[in-house]
Amino acid sequence: MTTTRTADAGGRQLAMVLDLNKCLGCHTCTIACKKLWNRDAGAAYAYWNNVETQPGQGYPRRWQETGGRTATGAVKRGEIPDLDADYGRAWTFNHEQVRAQVGAGAHKPWLRPDAPPTWGPNWDEDHGAGEHPGTNHYFYLPRLCNHCTHPACLDACPRRAITKRGEDGIVLVDQDRCHGYRFCVEACPYKKVFFDPERGVANKCIFCLPRIEEGVAPACARQCPGRLRFVGYLDDPEGPIWKLVEKWKVALPLHPEYGLGPNVFYVPPVGPVAFDRAGRLVDDAPRIPGALLESLFGSRVHEALRIVRDERARRRRGEASELMDLLIAYDWNASFRLPAGTREVL
Amino acid sequence: MATRRRLVLSAAPPALSPGGYVARAYADHVTPATAQADLASSFEGGAWSIALSWRAARAVRALDGDPARFVDAAALLVPTTEGAQAMTMGAPGDPVEGVLWRADAERPLRIAAEGWGTVERQPAPPQWTATARWKDGFWYVTFRLVGWPALDRFRRVAVAVWQGAARERAGLKSVTAQWIRLS
Ligand code: SF4
Ligand code: SF4
Repeated sequence: MTTTRTADAGGRQLAMVLDLNKCLGCHTCTIACKKLWNRDAGAAYAYWNNVETQPGQGYPRRWQETGGRTATGAVKRGEIPDLDADYGRAWTFNHEQVRAQVGAGAHKPWLRPDAPPTWGPNWDEDHGAGEHPGTNHYFYLPRLCNHCTHPACLDACPRRAITKRGEDGIVLVDQDRCHGYRFCVEACPYKKVFFDPERGVANKCIFCLPRIEEGVAPACARQCPGRLRFVGYLDDPEGPIWKLVEKWKVALPLHPEYGLGPNVFYVPPVGPVAFDRAGRLVDDAPRIPGALLESLFGSRVHEALRIVRDERARRRRGEASELMDLLIAYDWNASFRLPAGTREVL
Repeated sequence: MATRRRLVLSAAPPALSPGGYVARAYADHVTPATAQADLASSFEGGAWSIALSWRAARAVRALDGDPARFVDAAALLVPTTEGAQAMTMGAPGDPVEGVLWRADAERPLRIAAEGWGTVERQPAPPQWTATARWKDGFWYVTFRLVGWPALDRFRRVAVAVWQGAARERAGLKSVTAQWIRLS
């Protein structure tokens, strides 16, 4: 394994594309990740992958305001999210009580959290915004570590415990070096480093490194019923990532203005159109405001949406579209292009 | 012979912290959370006893599962060469050694460093102890240290204090700017 501390590793970069037009909000990705990697007691509150509703406050709450970068990419002091107010403490339930009630013949035992929940990873799910009916809108935004080209977490660690691998750009925490200072948690503007207070060390998404080394895509991508995740190398012209990011230019990084060079990209959601008071659909009146999408994905989002719409129209006319074939995932295996460790087979 | 000193502490300069974040994000961290500490030391029968006390309005003794909490801590640093500097925590070729007490740990840790960000920790030798008591807004921590050649030779220490309540950790600390000679 070759690792480097410098942000410009100069090596290859693994990346992921998520087509937000297809996310169902089922959270299978979150559970797949959590069950696989993140079950320690001190990480009960932590979700390397989460799916949040936009517009919304997200997880952790207010993550877009509390990171260590300004809107022009300058360093600012970030915050460590609060366990109750921002992450939400993992719920525990009154199982024993319910069991006793059932044993005593109760017909309607009440299973409920031991303490009133205050926040959680999908707390404001489906709230969205707009006026119902007509302009109400929301979409799902699955989030994970972006394995940034210039990682703020790495830059923040005085212990040099965070490295970016030269061969694939995966950003890792060396927990043997970590002293639990949590500057990485403060600094990451995506709030994708977590702290395990039981073990006293930081942890974060490892891009399913052991799977990658076997040529198998990360669990969040493989398990996604919406088949909206693509995995491969950014510089592979035969792969889906290069095609979506570089060739078709429909996949964009989240908050490019932070300046970290995220390597997780999103095809922005076209969303439905609005309808007027008479209930008629209004063409050219998307319900998801352009300003919201621009605030998340930058000014290139409008051009990306235009390309997706144009290619959809082309397909509707019965014409061929490489982009639509790719996004529809006709050949699901083509969504993942990794060097064969053990070739992934459906 | 015993030494009793009132120490003036200053905020360690965040600019010394490796990486681009801490130096910039904490550039305003210039006021020490612990402005002074009292030190009393004695050397008897081959053993050092070094007692430190400082004001800590609220003691933070454990993380209690809270990812945003930091515990109180204090360390003594000792040079291993004539040229080793306390403020930089040594430098390559001029290492420093130390002992670290953390309010949530049963045993002290032995540390070694050759500059900021290079600290290596290991369990302290079994004959080293740190006993701590918090009373009426003050921490009283007494180190008993036996068989520490660098301390026996140089008879100098530097002091660092971290206030958990002020979220101090790593380079966010109050320190003595110079070595303190123990008689
Ligand atoms: S998203 Fe955050 S945790 Fe992941 S590499 Fe970027 S700065 Fe580090
Ligand atoms: S598994 Fe796929 S469809 Fe389900 S929430 Fe995650 S990204 Fe969306």
